[in-house]
Amino acid sequence: MPPLAGQRLPDAADTEAALIARAQAGDIGAYERLSGAYADRLFMLLLRLLGDRSEAEDVAQEVMLRAWRAIARFRGQSSYFTWLYRIAVNEANRALEKRARRPPTTPIGADELQLPAPAADDPSRQAENRELRRALGRALAELPPALRTAIVLRDVEGLSTQEAAEIAGVSQAAFKSRLHQARLRVRATIGDQTLVTAGG
Amino acid sequence: MPSRSDDHQWSQQHLSHYVEGELGPRARRRLERHALGCVDCGRGIKAMRALVYAFQGLDGLAGVRAPATIFDRVRLAGPGGSPSPPNA
Repeated sequence: MPPLAGQRLPDAADTEAALIARAQAGDIGAYERLSGAYADRLFMLLLRLLGDRSEAEDVAQEVMLRAWRAIARFRGQSSYFTWLYRIAVNEANRALEKRARRPPTTPIGADELQLPAPAADDPSRQAENRELRRALGRALAELPPALRTAIVLRDVEGLSTQEAAEIAGVSQAAFKSRLHQARLRVRATIGDQTLVTAGG
Repeated sequence: MPSRSDDHQWSQQHLSHYVEGELGPRARRRLERHALGCVDCGRGIKAMRALVYAFQGLDGLAGVRAPATIFDRVRLAGPGGSPSPPNA
């Protein structure tokens, strides 16, 4: 039975390199263990990029299928995580392009963005956090996919510029440019006063 | 010598670079010198820091789990990677 999605690899006998080799030889169980270790994080990425749970579920399945079909060609030039994330970003962008050709439906859900309010905070502070979370969700939703991806990878996911640029498929200089543009747009949308107040 | 207006526009465009620590020493001094006397840019630095901090606060899976169906298409496709015909 495969591990639960997100379960950590248990021991050195199942190292990532060994799982990759077995998966490349056609072992689905090994592939599920390998990719399952990143499944929760990958799903959260898709939720943040797409803002729609059912669409994220559909795209997550597609990402896993595409990675399975392509794993024989994985050469280890990047980490497996980076490789898988890049497939996820490409699939999310493909889904967003499809969505752009359809009539608008529900915008990205601010509730999909997890902004934990510290328990010790006073109620007015928690309300400010909720309001900021909604504002961030709306501002992210208004960004073009490339800029949204830059913020999600670098600021939300906390990846290094090098890793985030590799996943986005652009040079580091181009990625930084996207990130700065995205931040300026979000700042303009939310407003300095709201941000400074929320920042305390 | 850039004018105050040039400095202001330039500073506004480089607040994210400043917060990211990407400006060289001269550029950083230029922005800081301008922000000392400019309420908008001083607040802009605080706002940009708060924005990055707020996005960092979105990190954490917070109980969200990938769906149990995430490998369904892989299982359907099988070792060859292509979906099996319905009655195969």
